[in-house]
Amino acid sequence: MIPFMQAEVNNIKANKEKIVAFPQMGNIRIPVAAVLKAMGANLYLSPENNKEALSLGTRHSTETVCLPYKLNLGNYIQALEGGANVLLMFSAPGTCRLGNYAKMAEAKLRELGYDFEFIVFDMYKGKFVEIIKKFSQATGNKSISNAYRGIKIGLAKFDALDEIERKLFYFRPREIESGKAEKIYLSGRRSIEKADTVEEVKNTVQETINKYNSVKIDTNKEILKVYLMGEFFVLLDPFTNMNIEKELGLLGVEVERTIMLSDWTNQTLIPKWNKKTETHRQRAVRTANKYLTRSVGGECIETVGDAVYAAECNVDGVVHVGPFNCIPEIVSQCILPNVSKQENIPVISLLMDEQTGKAGMVTRIEAFVDLIRRQRKNKSIINAYNKLSLRGEAKASTWQSKSSDCRVKSVVGNNN
Amino acid sequence: MKIGIPRALGYYNYYPFWFGFFGSLGIEIVLSDKTTKKLVSEGSALVVSETCLPVKIYMGHVLNLLNQKGVDIIYSPSIQSIDHKIYNCSKLRGLPDLVRNVVKKDFLLIEPTLDKSEKNQGLYQYLYESVAPLGITDKKTIKKASKVGWAYQNNFTGMTRDGMHPAEAMETAIKGKVVIKSRKNNYPINIAVLSHGYNLYDNHVSMNIFKKLENLGVKAHVSENLSVEQMNEGLNVLNTSLYWANELEISGAAGSFMTNKNIDGVLTLTAFGCGPDSLMVERITRYAKRLQKPLLNLTVDEHTGEAGFITRIEAFTDMLYRRKRSNIVQNLNKQIKIDSERQEVVYSRDNIVKV
Repeated sequence: MIPFMQAEVNNIKANKEKIVAFPQMGNIRIPVAAVLKAMGANLYLSPENNKEALSLGTRHSTETVCLPYKLNLGNYIQALEGGANVLLMFSAPGTCRLGNYAKMAEAKLRELGYDFEFIVFDMYKGKFVEIIKKFSQATGNKSISNAYRGIKIGLAKFDALDEIERKLFYFRPREIESGKAEKIYLSGRRSIEKADTVEEVKNTVQETINKYNSVKIDTNKEILKVYLMGEFFVLLDPFTNMNIEKELGLLGVEVERTIMLSDWTNQTLIPKWNKKTETHRQRAVRTANKYLTRSVGGECIETVGDAVYAAECNVDGVVHVGPFNCIPEIVSQCILPNVSKQENIPVISLLMDEQTGKAGMVTRIEAFVDLIRRQRKNKSIINAYNKLSLRGEAKASTWQSKSSDCRVKSVVGNNN
Repeated sequence: MKIGIPRALGYYNYYPFWFGFFGSLGIEIVLSDKTTKKLVSEGSALVVSETCLPVKIYMGHVLNLLNQKGVDIIYSPSIQSIDHKIYNCSKLRGLPDLVRNVVKKDFLLIEPTLDKSEKNQGLYQYLYESVAPLGITDKKTIKKASKVGWAYQNNFTGMTRDGMHPAEAMETAIKGKVVIKSRKNNYPINIAVLSHGYNLYDNHVSMNIFKKLENLGVKAHVSENLSVEQMNEGLNVLNTSLYWANELEISGAAGSFMTNKNIDGVLTLTAFGCGPDSLMVERITRYAKRLQKPLLNLTVDEHTGEAGFITRIEAFTDMLYRRKRSNIVQNLNKQIKIDSERQEVVYSRDNIVKV
């Protein structure tokens, strides 16, 4: 090759635009895209998780690997087909198979013949610095102010999304005209996605909350409260958990999801000395102590701790979700029946994989909701009876004497 | 004083150490019976069905100790990490917690934790936690006992490195002997059998795989025959680094065996639902293709039938025999070709001379 042509080729290579893509997980696409955009990246926003991504991922991975990996791989393939050439992923030690995902996905994609740059957020090292560094590497951004602006708006969006989602959980079971709150939430999410500055984000949140307040709610309806907990990815990705929050909401159940997006960012990004309140993990370690004394990776200790915490908070029940074959969730699934028995709280475990059908899952949820509703009724009857017996002691005493008579009789009968 | 040690999981790798350690402290060890079908089904009844086979078997052994052996102290260690940020699989990390929540009986559970990623959770702390519930708290005695334990363990590893079958080596080591046998190398086929100790040396799980291979005229090599350095080199061959605590005995050994010319084929045995193995085997499969080593992946669970198992092993060894034969024939053909070409040359020269 002629020398000057070689130089030109090099030039083209250097100027070749970086198009960044990242794996999808529910709402996380909005804040991450905001950070990347603020730092000046060309973004390929792959579609939200869907059937196509899942089947692509399943085709190219071993059968026993867990669902999040399959979806990530599907996202990557879709992104590479769509023109992306820089892929983002993070890996952390001491968790579970997650730490191997980056290595595996890269090897598989190279085997499939794609050409790309793979940037791994390595959590073995520092956290905050590592993230800024790797984001800068991905976007080619050099100014610190841009990075600061990007991360600020990203965090604002994390919080905003959580806020409007929490409101949705409150309004969904209570609204008279079903589906209205969901519409408000979706339009709010869209405008948060479009917002460019922190102020705009704040304004949209305020607008959305105002809209929510205009929704008519049924104040007489008996609302059950359920904790939704379990594995991180399945909890946060509505495609994977088949929108279980919505199904529960339509059955008249208020959901409290134990892991929200911003909880996680606070936990991983903010350094230890700057944490003022007890974090989710610390609380879980405290409450789970009776059943699980050591952290075993993944979200196992959080799951067990949250179940105990739910019992402490007098919640009606606990729904535990996770991907099929997830190692830490199998441990927590083995422990939860004991927690349920000792703490007297109903628990249902739903493990999702690519074969899970929605109808079967909905049936199980319905049965579970029926069960906790009946249990609540029984509880209220017992409470009412206790109150009665406290008020009218005379009446209660006659009751008691009658029952004690019966007991004596039966004992005598046994002796004979 | 009696403590019960389940004949499962860690037993197959560390029993000589425990034997020496507890023995020198005057604690009697009661082992559970060997794995049977009944024991497996009793264990599986306790945990959810997705749990992997080794853990189900472990629960069965715990029940066996409590019900049949009349032991009320169970020793169940949790090996969190063996090096800085090199963690074990979650089920092994939370093993004592699982036992405590799942086995509904009154017994004392000794649950020491070994965590090299934490500062104060090293070997001596682990050993202290192992015997402190039994009333032994003097650190000097514990140190002395651990030395006795290491002597037994080193004898065991010495014999396995030399090529002895680990089950045999364990029996010899516990008697306090070291036996080095002269090796006869007259097996036509050499296979590397890769799995964790608790799958391979539990005859119920591996269905006597070593005997079956022996009958087929195959020499089985296992990861215990390799040194740590060889296995580390093996990891480099597979272009990976250590992530799981027990990755060396599979990925490392695979890399080492697949670059060894004397090994004709590789056989991996994984328990269904084993998380780490599913990833390791994927990598091994990819590299086996590149390095052109025949590979057989076998997955076992509590329903695996022996007939299907034998058929696969037989087919695999038949294939290896055929491959070896055809290699020999090809080599012979080459030799013959070269010889005949030479003859032709000689013949034509003669012709020239005659003419």
